[in-house]
Amino acid sequence: MGNKITETLTAGLWKRIPPFRLVLGLCPALAVTMSAENGLGMGLATAFVLTLSNGAISSLRNIIPGKVRIASYIVIIATLVSIVEILMKAYFFTLAEQLGIYIPLIVVNCIVLGRAEGFASKNPPFVSMIDGVSVGIGYAISLTLIGSIREILGAGTWFGNPVMGESFEPISFLVSAPGAFVTIGSILAIQNLFSRWRGEKFIQG
Amino acid sequence: MSEIIRMVVILSLISGFSAAALTIANVKLGPQIERQTDLYVRGPGLERLFGKPAKEVLGNKVVLNVDDTAVPVFFTLKDQVVSDLAIEATGKGGYGGDLKIMVGIDLINERQTGMEVVSHSETPGLGARIIEVAFRRQWQGLPIDAPVALTKDGGQIDAISGASTTSKAAVNGTNDVLDFVRENRDEILRLISER
Repeated sequence: MGNKITETLTAGLWKRIPPFRLVLGLCPALAVTMSAENGLGMGLATAFVLTLSNGAISSLRNIIPGKVRIASYIVIIATLVSIVEILMKAYFFTLAEQLGIYIPLIVVNCIVLGRAEGFASKNPPFVSMIDGVSVGIGYAISLTLIGSIREILGAGTWFGNPVMGESFEPISFLVSAPGAFVTIGSILAIQNLFSRWRGEKFIQG
Repeated sequence: MSEIIRMVVILSLISGFSAAALTIANVKLGPQIERQTDLYVRGPGLERLFGKPAKEVLGNKVVLNVDDTAVPVFFTLKDQVVSDLAIEATGKGGYGGDLKIMVGIDLINERQTGMEVVSHSETPGLGARIIEVAFRRQWQGLPIDAPVALTKDGGQIDAISGASTTSKAAVNGTNDVLDFVRENRDEILRLISER
């Protein structure tokens, strides 16, 4: 049992780290990672929803009839996302304004539904919540990483603080949408090369 | 058959529970969200209208209910007398929907102190130029007893070129505020003195 918890806890950080290895949740990863702060905020909001939705869905997994399970999952996830949106507006207003429509869109983030269907519906609540924490933190780390790369190279700042010195000419292309594709593609390529070198399977579910 | 009933009951239970949770969250955090909106959305405009830091004026707020709509009114005091008001209004008929504007009223000199845009969804480069100071400063010093109008209608406000619909919406909103002040002045002062 202890083994399974440790395994689940670390899986989200490398074995199935989203979006690189799970290859789910790419849309917010492309859209909101203009800066490290946005990436971290989005990642933590998703992690929060993921943990609670995994917990709720797992506790109800024997009650929810199989035929309406997806509908029930969506209702539960949508409720949690709306609560996150209300909380963010109440306490992190500027971040909520910047993330804008992408907060409500966590509802259709494939990671949340994917983990609900693929993990929480088959495992007990505690392990499912561990899985939510692990995958959520993995996602937050990934988004912060993408955001940091784009912000440092594209604007010369990190979490809003200048880090590159006076003479640095920002590659502003990286902050715009195409820069997100290039950044994520490059990280994906490096990750795949590394996996091949270690002899692992490239992409794991 | 019983399976169908079970599905319906469980889905309804989940939905009901979700609705309850959302209602609680909304009711509990509504005032906090309102404060944050005041600070970040109305704050910058209020700072310019009153010439004071937003934190000082945000607390000075009364809400009037007229025809089932809540109108937020901000005020500032000078020697214990209400000197300036900032009243929010909807500028109906913008190009991309209604505008939300705030008009400053100087009650002592009976003049307008300015117009600020709280939120809009106008075309960038055309109607969105409504937030530029060159357009907004036309309101400074206008009387509050006469309605404002665009120059093409014989008034004082030069429309933004290419965006007369947006300019008209701002003018409409202002006239709503002027009417509102004329009709509810005593009520506003009474609410403020009761605080």
